[in-house]
Amino acid sequence: MSKRKSREAHLAVGDCVAQVQRILRERFCHQRLPDRPVGLESQYKHLLELLRRTAVHGESNSVLIVGPRGAGKTMLLRCALRELLELQEVKQNVLQVHLSGLLQTDDRIALKEITRQLHLENVVGDKVFGSFAENLVFLLEALKRGDKSSSRPVFFILEEFDLFAHHKNQTLLYNLLDVSQSAQAPVAVVGLTCRLDVLELLEKRVKSRFSHRQIHLLSCMSFCQYLDAFRSELALPDDFPDSKFSQEWNLNVSELCEEKSVQEILQKHFNSCKDFRSLHLLLLLALTRVSVSNPTLRAVDILEASRMSSADSKANILHGLSVLELCLIIAMKHLNDIYEGEPFNFQMVHNEFKKFIQRKSHSIHNFEKPVVIKAFEHLLQLELIRPVDGGVCKVQREYQLMRLMLDHTQVMEALQRYPQCPTDVKQWAISAFG
Amino acid sequence: MSGYYTKLRARRTYRWEGKPTSEDRKLKRRYYGSLSIAVDRRPAEAVVSVGQYILIEGHDDDNPFVAQLLKLFCDDNGNKKAEVQWFVRMCEIHQNKRKLLGRSPHPQEVFYYQDRSCDNEVDAETILGSVQVCVYKAPFPDRENKDTLFVKLVWDTKAFRIMDPELFQPPQSPKSPPPYQHAPRVRALPTPDPTVMKRAMIGVHTRSSMSTGKMGTSEAESAHSASKLSAAKVLNMKRRSRISSNPNIRKKLDLCSEFSSIILLADANNEQCIFLLLTDRLHVSSVPESLPCREQEFQDIYSFVESKIMDGTGGCMYISGVPGTGKTATVHEVIRSLLQAAEQDEIPHFRFIEINGMRMTDPHQAYVQILQKLTDQKATADHAAALLEKRFSMPAPKKETTVLLVDELDLLWTRKQNVMYNLFDWPTRRHARLVVLTIANTMDLPERIMMNRVASRLGLTRMSFQPYNFKQLQQIITSRLNRVKAFEEDALQLISRKVAALSGDARRCLDICRRATEICEHSGQQGGTKLVGMSHVMEALDEMFSSSYITAIRCASLQEQLFLRAVIAEFRRLGLEEATFQQVFVQHQGLCRMEGLQPISVSEGLAVCQRLGACRLLLLEPSRLDLLLRVRLNVSQDDVLYALKAD
Repeated sequence: MSKRKSREAHLAVGDCVAQVQRILRERFCHQRLPDRPVGLESQYKHLLELLRRTAVHGESNSVLIVGPRGAGKTMLLRCALRELLELQEVKQNVLQVHLSGLLQTDDRIALKEITRQLHLENVVGDKVFGSFAENLVFLLEALKRGDKSSSRPVFFILEEFDLFAHHKNQTLLYNLLDVSQSAQAPVAVVGLTCRLDVLELLEKRVKSRFSHRQIHLLSCMSFCQYLDAFRSELALPDDFPDSKFSQEWNLNVSELCEEKSVQEILQKHFNSCKDFRSLHLLLLLALTRVSVSNPTLRAVDILEASRMSSADSKANILHGLSVLELCLIIAMKHLNDIYEGEPFNFQMVHNEFKKFIQRKSHSIHNFEKPVVIKAFEHLLQLELIRPVDGGVCKVQREYQLMRLMLDHTQVMEALQRYPQCPTDVKQWAISAFG
Repeated sequence: MSGYYTKLRARRTYRWEGKPTSEDRKLKRRYYGSLSIAVDRRPAEAVVSVGQYILIEGHDDDNPFVAQLLKLFCDDNGNKKAEVQWFVRMCEIHQNKRKLLGRSPHPQEVFYYQDRSCDNEVDAETILGSVQVCVYKAPFPDRENKDTLFVKLVWDTKAFRIMDPELFQPPQSPKSPPPYQHAPRVRALPTPDPTVMKRAMIGVHTRSSMSTGKMGTSEAESAHSASKLSAAKVLNMKRRSRISSNPNIRKKLDLCSEFSSIILLADANNEQCIFLLLTDRLHVSSVPESLPCREQEFQDIYSFVESKIMDGTGGCMYISGVPGTGKTATVHEVIRSLLQAAEQDEIPHFRFIEINGMRMTDPHQAYVQILQKLTDQKATADHAAALLEKRFSMPAPKKETTVLLVDELDLLWTRKQNVMYNLFDWPTRRHARLVVLTIANTMDLPERIMMNRVASRLGLTRMSFQPYNFKQLQQIITSRLNRVKAFEEDALQLISRKVAALSGDARRCLDICRRATEICEHSGQQGGTKLVGMSHVMEALDEMFSSSYITAIRCASLQEQLFLRAVIAEFRRLGLEEATFQQVFVQHQGLCRMEGLQPISVSEGLAVCQRLGACRLLLLEPSRLDLLLRVRLNVSQDDVLYALKAD
């Protein structure tokens, strides 16, 4: 009996890894809701109570959830809705309308979407959708007819709330908030936004109708909590099929947390960005390196993932340049140093480059001017340099003013990493003033 | 050619038939027995005489108005006039009231119309011809005779009643006394309704003129002046009594006593219940029994609209005030009281229509909405404008006064301002009987955005609602709470003073109260008296008004904080309030080294910068500018330094 069991565990290594990949990827990519929102208990209670009042007592309300990107605004809202919908009476009654400022870019589209989500599209006139004006009148009429006790409560959830404020006259917001402030069908208007100054965007009469309830999601997470989050995000659940594997995995994760190098990496990430999305990205990159031959997560994997996620976007482009192009960039860098960031043109760069060839270079050919122009244009195409005022074609190409889109440090780093870079080129880059 | 002519309306010419039967020197009127109507390209002349049933031209060419001709006369300007008793068709009765009939009407059925507010004098040149009308007690006949109409019931704008047979005088005896003398029109309280006055006077006159000539006129004159005087007196008295014994105030007091007893009962067993009741009463949507602190405004608007309705004239009024000062609520309250008064027959009936500039997609939709609410017709904006224009400028009989409320007037602005122009021009028409109440936020809107001709038509009847001061806000809350002791005195004081200092917006005030009540409810303090205290109010105020920038900076990640410091350092170095990302990034690298942190790459730096920009702690240019994008602070430098120093 025991023999068979142990054999089963051995056989399952490949399966186990596949299971781990599946479970953790779902956690990182599918935005699966946690059982309870972490660190946001008071906000959660407030939101839940507010929605409950609308759903159960028919009291209209409006609220804004404000927090930086990745702070968990949507997660908080969805958790609250999930808990609320567990009540049978709420589940049968409540209607939900989800709108997003990025999708519903004007009120006409938003209205159509509302009618569609409320399943009213066949009721407007005889057509599937009436005109914009008809739709608005119809919808307001429908909401107005309702009253507190008999109509079904409606939740209006507006993601990217700030974008709705840019619609013409803010008609939609005015009407939704007006309904929430008058004795009509019970509605709860929940806005989600990352802008702290969102109230200043509202017109004064729209603002007056908003209840000014704001839920701020500003996480004051400490590094210890961040480490805990790291541990719990990677931990396998208790109902994992192979208990031995999951125990080993969880133990390994706990050990990782103790390890100095891992902690340093996490500290660096924590310093730059506190939210869970960036942590998920890091862990996902690390997770891809788990395989049958390498069934546990190692510190190296996390180090590599961190390197990948924090890599500079231009480093790879610089890596693939020819030596001539690199020389041109160094010449531009020197020009920037000399003229304190003033724009330059091709002729200036070419002069600088010629000076270098004549005085210092031993390894670089004297390139023809057309070849140098070609290299210059390649840099332009890669957008490592950019014309000053949107490329006005009046001037000859050689005299068009350009700016370098690279920082000093990026150039130096690229030179360090460049394979078989000629020494004299390196020397030229390091030396001050060409 | 003939097809072309059918499009044109046939021209009719009207001519008196015979000599005047009598003459009224005082009013310079000559009465006639009959009128002949000659229609172009038709050989026979139609003759209508007093007592006959006639058709009168109206809005609807298929269903002209039906009436009985009572009198024909020529007034002092030589115009041919007629006095009539109206009958209404089913389609002319307001849609909501049609179901009062309780059965489906016969297509040719008309109703004897009994309403004193309706103008009984029409231009004789609108008469189309005569028609057959019969009284039926039995079921309607099935035979289809399009020209005969049937009367069975009386419609007095509220209910259908069985017809009094005396009311209906068969047309065979035109010499018999006109039916209105028997009609139950004598009212207990005279009101200065001009048409009624005129009719009463004419009635006296005709009777007397039949017997004795000159003496009759003087009698009529005295009767006229007497009735007018008494009417004015009674009206004044009535108004005064209404002000002194305001039914609303009485109602409020009644409710008070009732409510407090409920609370006393509930107090013992259920605290939850009180809080629920409280939040309910404090919700902005709950309609209060009275509007405290707006008595004067209420009175002004009330008397304005009432006088216009009484006189059957039109006018405009402009109401301004910052949001949340009770403009719309007061107007609604006025209309409610007026409708009540109309229900009790104190004033003539009127229609109330409301449009809101924010609830339409385009200013021209205003026409569509008005038309739909008036007549239930659907039309395009242009067509609706034409129909309304016709409706308000035609001297149509049987017209009630229309009260139109235009909320958020400033949104009806168009480049040519024709919507506003029409709205304000209609009331000035002679036959429009339209009262327009407009509401907007800015006091000087007419001067700022309206052209001279529009502003001039709006007139100078203006009213501005001042923001509430703290005493008024306090009164509003206490009146809503209705003697329930739920707030500490200081807490109330704090809320009302805070809001009065900020905006004087009653909505804000109620919202804060509601939130404070909720906080109090959830504070979990068990036992003892649960009053909303200072701490709860402070918490609510903090939640709603405190700027979150400082907390946001404190909660930002280390690199984000460093970046903000780098921005300030760079601003100081440049002496400008603006820097490019590249410049700030150099500072940032330096700060990183000073803090002993590993410097971050340009991409990471840009991400940090974008995150701050998304929260609007920084103002950024579009990110395609890369290193060259310009950075500005959206908070003051002092705030940033304060927030960063504290930890």
